[in-house]
Amino acid sequence: MVHPLTALPANPVRDADLIGESRTDPEAFAVLFDRYSRMLYRYVSQRLGPEVAEDLVGETFLIAFARRDRYDAAYPDARPWLFGIVTKLVSRHRRTEAARYRALLRTPADDVVDSPADRVAAGVTARSARPALARALAALPARDRDVLLLFAWGDLSYEEVARALDIPIGTVRSRLNRARKKVRAALGNTDPMHEEA
Amino acid sequence: MDDLNLLRDLGRELEHEPPASLAHQRRRLLDPSARSRSARAGGSRRTRTWAMVALAAGLTAAVVTVPTVLLSGSGTGRPAGSLTEAGVEAPTGPLNLLLIGSDTREGANAKYGPRMADYPGRSDTLVLVHLAADRKSAEAVSIPRDSMVRIPECRTGDGKKAPAHVGMINSAYADGGLACARKTMETLTGVTVDYAMAIDFSGFKDMIDALGGVEITVPKAVDDPKAKLRMPAGRQVLNGEQALGYARLRYALGDGSDLSRIKRQQVLMRGIIKKAAGLPTDPVRLPAFLKAVQASVKTEPGLNVEEMVALARGLAGMKPSDTRFVTIPWTPYSEDPNRVSWKQPEADQLFKRIASDSR
Repeated sequence: MVHPLTALPANPVRDADLIGESRTDPEAFAVLFDRYSRMLYRYVSQRLGPEVAEDLVGETFLIAFARRDRYDAAYPDARPWLFGIVTKLVSRHRRTEAARYRALLRTPADDVVDSPADRVAAGVTARSARPALARALAALPARDRDVLLLFAWGDLSYEEVARALDIPIGTVRSRLNRARKKVRAALGNTDPMHEEA
Repeated sequence: MDDLNLLRDLGRELEHEPPASLAHQRRRLLDPSARSRSARAGGSRRTRTWAMVALAAGLTAAVVTVPTVLLSGSGTGRPAGSLTEAGVEAPTGPLNLLLIGSDTREGANAKYGPRMADYPGRSDTLVLVHLAADRKSAEAVSIPRDSMVRIPECRTGDGKKAPAHVGMINSAYADGGLACARKTMETLTGVTVDYAMAIDFSGFKDMIDALGGVEITVPKAVDDPKAKLRMPAGRQVLNGEQALGYARLRYALGDGSDLSRIKRQQVLMRGIIKKAAGLPTDPVRLPAFLKAVQASVKTEPGLNVEEMVALARGLAGMKPSDTRFVTIPWTPYSEDPNRVSWKQPEADQLFKRIASDSR
């Protein structure tokens, strides 16, 4: 399966060039929206739910647009830049996010999301591990959670996470290790593989 | 399975597909004035969106649930056989319904909008619901009430003829009732409207109460003195009053924009639909529910209970997830940015698709 976030757009024009072009022709920025708005929407919907995702994605592009003059053209791929903006906006909704994880502790999957049938099957294992995961995610410090989720859900590489959060790559590694350790510890208390039946 | 894979699975489970309405954000990006516009137009949009909830509830409730229950004969003491004997056949083929949420603010409705007392005329919501011929899917197209369109000649309430004119689409209902609203839609879209239905605000509340409330997950605690609404975060059952309040809430959740409100209302609608599905087996709540429906739903052409049964006969198996909610593509009206006009050719393509019953 090609993960939606790794499927690169077929259009060969580099993001950086589009951003440069948008300084004189604002319409060029819309191409960026067409490339990444859906990807960002999915990511936000994972962390905060669909209720706020649409507006937050719109906000992200408005901010990006306002800052387009400051974009460093040395980076052809604009995804880390956009994910960085999204991350800042997501942090304003910390309570929404916490409530979302709390809700996972007590509700069955299909009450939180109306997942298509094909995803339901794929989610069986995750479902049994879900309370432990949700608890672990909720308990992580925000900066560790940002790194972990940009990596796991946003599908960014170490380098891209570093760029998105504007932190050294060594810091990405250490935060990711720390976060994963906590998640594993939380999972250790349950045994998801035996709860499937 | 390692922690990352489990986490990714969880992510996939939590993920939502972007809705078509994400395109609004693109427009927001390209047109800075669109932002201030949506703030200005907020007042009318608010009334439009809560009414859409009422419509969806009314649709599902009135069209799907009630007749299904009557058909099965459970809880009503009425033998199912009598309906068949009445000779009313279930309509086959594609079916189009025009739903109107009337916001009269009169009588029982007045208490929901005291500050709206000087509101000119009645505001309403229009949703065109298309049921596919195979009854496996439905599409609900919501139509901004401030759409500027050509309204055909209609007979008004006092029997006079009002000439064709360009005006806001909701004035068709205000001036000429359901018949004129139906004629206007048919003329504009080329889609045959089999039935037009109107439901009012207080009826929506009564229906939810008759259902025994609606269960949803509230993502964030609400304490909005303005809406007189307080609720904790998490899963809970809302009564009719609370559900209405939640649907209309402006600032306590999200960023106060219409879009986050629409999302909230869609969650509510799913809850309602889910709950309504359990009604056929609930003989206690059924009578109250039927009463609420009868009191608050008007149809054109008129439908009696038997005909509603027939109408819904084929719908029993339909699931909430089979209904797609979309908004007609629109752009600001050239002569008044506080009005909208339908975006062409997209709108016509949408109606053509509906008229031909293709997806």
